[in-house]
Amino acid sequence: MAKGARFGPDAALAFSVTGLILAVPAALLPFVGAGKLGNERMSYLFTGVGALWGNGMQAVAVLVFLLGGLLPVALLLILACLHAPRSFGLTDGGAAQLYKAARTLEHWAIPEVQVLAVLVALMKLGNVVEVTVGPAFWCYCAMALSLILAQQSFNFEPPAPPGGTAAAQPQ
Amino acid sequence: MNQRFEFRSNANAGAFALAAAVMLVPANLLPVLDTQTSGNNRSDTILSGVIELWRNGLWAIAAIVFVASIMIPALKLAGLGWLLLKTRRGAPQDVGRLTRIYAAIDFIGRWSMLDVFLAAFLTGLVQFGEFSTVRARSGIVAFAAAVVLTVLATQAFDPRALWESPADSSP
Repeated sequence: MAKGARFGPDAALAFSVTGLILAVPAALLPFVGAGKLGNERMSYLFTGVGALWGNGMQAVAVLVFLLGGLLPVALLLILACLHAPRSFGLTDGGAAQLYKAARTLEHWAIPEVQVLAVLVALMKLGNVVEVTVGPAFWCYCAMALSLILAQQSFNFEPPAPPGGTAAAQPQ
Repeated sequence: MNQRFEFRSNANAGAFALAAAVMLVPANLLPVLDTQTSGNNRSDTILSGVIELWRNGLWAIAAIVFVASIMIPALKLAGLGWLLLKTRRGAPQDVGRLTRIYAAIDFIGRWSMLDVFLAAFLTGLVQFGEFSTVRARSGIVAFAAAVVLTVLATQAFDPRALWESPADSSP
């Protein structure tokens, strides 16, 4: 049944729900703080997005928001729906659509790259300003890890409908 | 619905790859980040930023940024161009190896977004007025566009074309 999956469908559901829960504090709590000559500054997950927007780089701001914020959450949501018990009312056609969306989002939901970028920035800033890592950063790291584990557990074969015909056909 | 635009075609992949290659020129020539520290202003391109990290003794970080921002985009486009040429010349013999190359290109591509996340994060965090300020510059827009175009090129490329000779492939 779960061919190619590492942990199985129940684990995929658990990982995606965990990721969704972690996304809330990751977006709301302080992310990284910096101090320079007595000036303290606290940044949140989307502070950089706002700063880029304010600098007139709306396209890059939207891109960063999508790749590091919205799309990872959307992918977690889709993976959770695909692995939720069928009693929640997902039809086979709906599952096929969600499956296609998940295959596309795989390439665009990249929170792990944002984690590496923040680590690089922290090491780069280490000798210029004093940096403190806030709880949101750890929540974000855990969310990125949950997404990877949920994808690893996800069976990337098209869902097989009871009839046995190809499910991935567009309606 | 019959006249639907077919995203997945090697002609589209070639067009996206070409556009990405064009965008990489301003991405590498224009400054991506302005750094102001106590009256000391500098404007960095991607390469000069890597060299600066290296000079400051942050070799691991310099290597990560070099691989993600310079090596991966170049390797990815070269690999994709090579695959596209191979499929045009008819069914190649080493299909298994080419498919693995495609999978590798697909996997590493995301990491080149590192520099965009880095610029966003630093612009958001390092805002200490005259003491220390970081600001993203226009090069990052070109770089982000180039990376998005390479991802689109990889997704538009149809690995099935590796198995078929040009005569078999229907439009």
